[in-house]
Amino acid sequence: MNYAMVRRLILKDWYLNRWLILGSVPAGLAALAIILIGKFVALLLSIILLCMVIIGVGAQLATVTTVNERKEQTLAFMMSLPLSWREYTAAKILANLIIFLIPWLIISAGALGVLWLPGATHGLIPFTAIMAVEMLVTTCLIIAAGLITESQAGTTVAILCSSLGINILGFVFAHLRGISAYMWGQQVHWSPTALIVLLAEFAMVPLLLGLTFFIQSRKTDFL
Amino acid sequence: MSEVCVRFQGVSKKYPHFLLDNISLDLPEGSILGFIGANGAGKSTTIRILMGLVRQDSGTVEVLGHAMPADQVAAKQKIGFVSEDMRLYGAATLAWHMSFVASIYPDWNQAYADKLLRRFDLKPQQKIKGLSHGQRVKAALLLALAHQPRLLVLDEPTTGLDPVARREVLAELMAVLADEHRTILFSSHNTLDVEQISDRIAFIDRGRIIAFDEKEDLLDRWRRLRLVLPPSAVLPQLPGIVEVGGSDRLPVLTTSQFDPAVLSLCKDRGATVQAVDSMTLEEIFVANVQSRRELQPA
Repeated sequence: MNYAMVRRLILKDWYLNRWLILGSVPAGLAALAIILIGKFVALLLSIILLCMVIIGVGAQLATVTTVNERKEQTLAFMMSLPLSWREYTAAKILANLIIFLIPWLIISAGALGVLWLPGATHGLIPFTAIMAVEMLVTTCLIIAAGLITESQAGTTVAILCSSLGINILGFVFAHLRGISAYMWGQQVHWSPTALIVLLAEFAMVPLLLGLTFFIQSRKTDFL
Repeated sequence: MSEVCVRFQGVSKKYPHFLLDNISLDLPEGSILGFIGANGAGKSTTIRILMGLVRQDSGTVEVLGHAMPADQVAAKQKIGFVSEDMRLYGAATLAWHMSFVASIYPDWNQAYADKLLRRFDLKPQQKIKGLSHGQRVKAALLLALAHQPRLLVLDEPTTGLDPVARREVLAELMAVLADEHRTILFSSHNTLDVEQISDRIAFIDRGRIIAFDEKEDLLDRWRRLRLVLPPSAVLPQLPGIVEVGGSDRLPVLTTSQFDPAVLSLCKDRGATVQAVDSMTLEEIFVANVQSRRELQPA
């Protein structure tokens, strides 16, 4: 693997999508500012808006950097350069994941931090952590779909599945006995159920990315 | 012209509605191959296999001593590629593209790039989306040439260009030919462009190479004979006849194996040779394709 080439390709994608990336910062900050209202409803609204910004930017960036490369016929230019499918795939995954991970880490840490504050419902911490990692998984799914299918339709289906999945899984997780029983308590309780769900989600990340590499390696046509 | 720059051996690739069938060709270093075929004949598939972008089902491909597609990264360091369906990033400037490509190729020649900018009348600060089609092709050609590739692969680069832009692109290609170590594969369905710059010609039709020869040999071997046949005489059986036209009394024969001896053979059979016409590359290509299609209907 030529890491210098991977770095160049990542910087290329960031440069070409700099307005989308930079545009998400004020949107994220505006969503965060809502917390300053100081009410519980404002906190919820802020988290929902932040999630929308993160997932929206993640999905849009994944679409633009993977699907549009084929749609706008810039893939031929890229693949004419001395790079392999491994470097191309690694660069696309990293370019998208890093942009997603920066706000995701800040917001997830922020949300968990707020829940750590005295007087907050500490029991919500495991569920919040589970939902934060769920967002990471769905973003990986969208990136994988974009790279593997290279089609707008395939990526749109992945985005729809992710949006739907996050709600359905959120509902399911919130109603699992090992999670719901402690969710509204004042103590943090990492039940075996919560830990299994969290570990399963974490395991999904390398699984999805590994699957992407595997399927890319099986492709015979890159144009 | 000793080393083989590109070698295809028994290369096949099957798609649901198309078969690239058993392609074999050797392209020596320093040669300029004109790769001619109708739309959908298999030119782009062959070129994509050459570039390692499509994996062949069978056969071997070697480019600059590298097996493709396995060793494509090393091979592509020395290949410049321009394709009609290749686009640059519309939102970025030509200067950004130049700097991006320069960071990838150690042999990038900035002085040559600047010279090409002037010759093609391109402005580096202009965004690609603001360029005309002709300017985009020239920009792509600049990026492909300025890293001084040993092999230049051009897939229909002149398609859709206006006559002025086409002339400029061809003129630059002619200038590039001055480097006798540089090999060029030029694909087009415009035989006039190919005829101008190539020293070898390959015809491809329905996924098969139907002719692969030195350009001059090809042009020398193909002739159209205009005969006058007296009522008693029969049409002589000549070698390499691919097409018989005209009338019974004034037949026009197209041969792919012309030899001056053919003329005396005609006279011996009582026919008068009225004219021996040279053929353009386009006429040769069309006659070749049509005769093969008549022999092997789809």
